[in-house]
Amino acid sequence: MIRFLPVALLVSNLAAQIPPDVTMERSGFVSWLKTGSNSPLFAIAQQRVGEGLRLGPTDADIPLSGVDEHRVFPGTAGLVLEGPDGRRPIGRGGPHRIGRYALYLSGRQGTVLTVFGDSAAKEPPGYYDYDASMVFTGPLIRLAAPKQLRILGSDGIEVEATEVGSVIVPLGGRTSLRVLRIPFSGGDESDLEIYFRDETNGNGTYPAGRFVSLYPLPNGQFRLNFNRARNPFCAYSSVYPCPAPWRGNTLRAAITAGERYSGGGLQTVPTEPAE
Amino acid sequence: MMLWVAIKATLGLAVLSQPEGSWRAVLDLAGGPLPFAVRIDRAGRGWRGELCNGVKCQRFSKVRVVGDSVILENADYAATMTAALRGDSLVGHYHNVGSNGPRTIPFRAARGRWPITRAPTSLVGRWDATYFQDLETSPRVFEFRNTLAGIEGTLITSTSDYGPFSGTASADSFAIGYFDGSFVYLITGQLKGDTLRGIFHAGLKTQTPWVAVRSTGAPHLKSPTEITSADTTEPFRFRFPDLRGRLVGNDDPRFKGKVVLVDVFGTWCPTCHDGMPGLLELYHRYRGRGLEIVGLAFEVTGDTAVDAPLVRRYRDKFRIPFPLLLAGTSDVEGIEAALPQLHGAGAFPTIVFLGRDGRVRRVHAGFHGLAAGDQHQRQVREFEEEIEKLLDEKRER
Repeated sequence: MIRFLPVALLVSNLAAQIPPDVTMERSGFVSWLKTGSNSPLFAIAQQRVGEGLRLGPTDADIPLSGVDEHRVFPGTAGLVLEGPDGRRPIGRGGPHRIGRYALYLSGRQGTVLTVFGDSAAKEPPGYYDYDASMVFTGPLIRLAAPKQLRILGSDGIEVEATEVGSVIVPLGGRTSLRVLRIPFSGGDESDLEIYFRDETNGNGTYPAGRFVSLYPLPNGQFRLNFNRARNPFCAYSSVYPCPAPWRGNTLRAAITAGERYSGGGLQTVPTEPAE
Repeated sequence: MMLWVAIKATLGLAVLSQPEGSWRAVLDLAGGPLPFAVRIDRAGRGWRGELCNGVKCQRFSKVRVVGDSVILENADYAATMTAALRGDSLVGHYHNVGSNGPRTIPFRAARGRWPITRAPTSLVGRWDATYFQDLETSPRVFEFRNTLAGIEGTLITSTSDYGPFSGTASADSFAIGYFDGSFVYLITGQLKGDTLRGIFHAGLKTQTPWVAVRSTGAPHLKSPTEITSADTTEPFRFRFPDLRGRLVGNDDPRFKGKVVLVDVFGTWCPTCHDGMPGLLELYHRYRGRGLEIVGLAFEVTGDTAVDAPLVRRYRDKFRIPFPLLLAGTSDVEGIEAALPQLHGAGAFPTIVFLGRDGRVRRVHAGFHGLAAGDQHQRQVREFEEEIEKLLDEKRER
């Protein structure tokens, strides 16, 4: 029995129309990719802080042209940024500026430093034409006992996620896709995410796969819109580690919807499925 | 004739296409619309506006009208609402940027005010709720009441409330929301028999089911004084730069022999904004008898160049007369490193009560604002009693 059904009316009536909320989402995202100070297209380095990192000189952990030696290290009162002008505490988030570079700290399981330059390495990759046949509505089949597991999020940062269940889509036969809840840092919000692979990977989309969020509907059902599929950050820049594909989440069909891939990014991607 | 009609229509549109006035606004969350109100007025040659949840309103930091676009900015939370003005409607989106990219939520508004709907008596009062999360359950309290603006409710946790929710109610169901430019919350529920069941919506697409029963008066939440503990054997130590860069510590003469409230806050924290008027009231009432307050700001960046202007704006917004110090960064590690005598700190704000000898007498995690109703009143009484008690203690010789 097919558990996730295409929204038939949308297929026939809205094939060429992008819903306004998807247009807004894409436009906000592309604008951020092009101009945001923490856009992955601006990223030039990412490393765990560990016991400390040297930044600046050519032999530093993170060489930054035109920047005198700086250090980021754990001090007695949290993380410290030290440079020729002295030292100051720096917190998670950012930006912390050094010359033309912006530093951001993130991560819960150990702090990760990401350095961003002031120009994008390339243009955002763009999207496939909107395809209303790639919108599905149905139930989330919940696990009796949700499982906690550590994974890499779309930004390559390790996160404690919860596997809550699966959805079944009528693509490539019937494919069951695992669904994980990935929390935002702090607060009450989280996303139900699916990291999936399909036959466009390496041929139009990023080889490692793409993320897509599951949207809860007021009637207790969920909507899976592959037009909202988006790249992991490793597709934009080789600075980011790539999440390993989730076991089983491979569609034997070409999902020509959502964000495309235009080259660059991390060339060697994990192939072993994550637990 | 046709030309005249066309001109009239164009002129009519031009007259209508001014954003000033009251707007019934919603954010369209995946689980339903989150209602709030927007008011836009002319201010000289520019514009000003406010965002309201029921009777509680806050100013936008900037309102811009560019062509047919209206841009409502909330600088406190680096958030904007951008909408196209089409006669009697605004259609656009809310937008702010986090570490993983932008959060975009559809926004729309129609001219006019929300009709006033009252909560049925079967809903009014205090309810003990249980949230069903993936791996655990956790307690909350809901309070519903009627105000001049109609139904008002709030959601209370062990450390804070979520502000005044407003919206609609019928005989057996309700939908009330709270949106302040940063928090995006909607509670929907239905009364069946003596049990309320519903969904707590956070942001665009997070939904948490809950069940609630009438409060019996027995404690359902953890007490705010049981969350963070402190070393009480020695004076509570702090030393941080003020907004002029001068180091101020617990041994500063202005604190000597005084009862001191240490307000651990962040300008990014809406609950801290909620709590500040109450702290100021205490300060003005008890200062003559020996009360001092010091605010320790834990900001996002830890970079003085970024943080100091934010703290100055916070100071000016509330006309805060006591010192505000730049204490560090807002992550748990930052607080624990800066204030090692606190254990389990993490709620914003946290208020540390020091006796005249400088030692910790009480640590109150979080703050229950006016929207928390009885919980707020009880907290005010407890603060007053604690301050009175500490003021009555003899000075250390």
